[in-house]
Amino acid sequence: MREPGTSDTAFERFVVPEIEILLRVAHSVTRNHAEAEDLVQDTLLRAYRGIATFDGQHPRAWLLTILRNTNINRNRRQRPELLRDPDRAADGLAAVASDERTDAAIDAELDAEIGNALDALDERFRSVVELVDIDGLTYAEAASVLGVPAGTVMSRLHRARTRIRDRLARTGLAPRSRM
Amino acid sequence: MIRALMMRLMGRKPPGGIDCHAVGKLLQQYLDGHVDGDQAQRIAAHLEDCRRCGMEAETYERIKTSLADRRHEVPAESIERLRDFAARLVRGEEPHQP
Repeated sequence: MREPGTSDTAFERFVVPEIEILLRVAHSVTRNHAEAEDLVQDTLLRAYRGIATFDGQHPRAWLLTILRNTNINRNRRQRPELLRDPDRAADGLAAVASDERTDAAIDAELDAEIGNALDALDERFRSVVELVDIDGLTYAEAASVLGVPAGTVMSRLHRARTRIRDRLARTGLAPRSRM
Repeated sequence: MIRALMMRLMGRKPPGGIDCHAVGKLLQQYLDGHVDGDQAQRIAAHLEDCRRCGMEAETYERIKTSLADRRHEVPAESIERLRDFAARLVRGEEPHQP
């Protein structure tokens, strides 16, 4: 695909435009801004060293695989106590303004309950929701991050959304009927 | 399932020519844009006419929208620092070992 001896150009063409999505995914993976930035920096370094052998196809998937492997290596080196807390409180949820119209209040309640349902998911389900529905990755890209087949991403994603939907139904925020 | 059976007994075709059970199995793939062609058209027609499946689709759409709205903005200064780092790598100003 590429001319030989154009590593720097390839790096600027294929890698630099992906920095923002790498940072977003790194944040989903680490849940910490500083760690996410460190992880992306290490990923860039490895990408730079490997760019000469990259064929120019699917740069995002290639970079996400590097990010995943880099993160695995970092976790091996680092403290187990920094593994994420599954009981962490929901954050970033907008407060509900009491004087909003009813529709807006219901929307806010729905959003809050979806946040609660997301937090209640097992890690393997929550991670696919974060990567696909929140970060906007394709199934294949999320598969690169998680190191699982794209079909597994799809089935986990569907089950995760079904659990969120069932929780909404239990709280009366979604229809109870199932097809 | 019961509704589909009733429709068959009454000799009526389900909306869109596809029954609720089949729509239910494909609904999330359809909403993710992973169902193409005739199948997608049949599901769309079914969702237009079947209130229950339409509500189910709306619920999943609402969940997807709510989740997409959670996309956090990454700090602009972090992006800037990483772009600078990438530029320094290209200029040979950074050691190439992590």
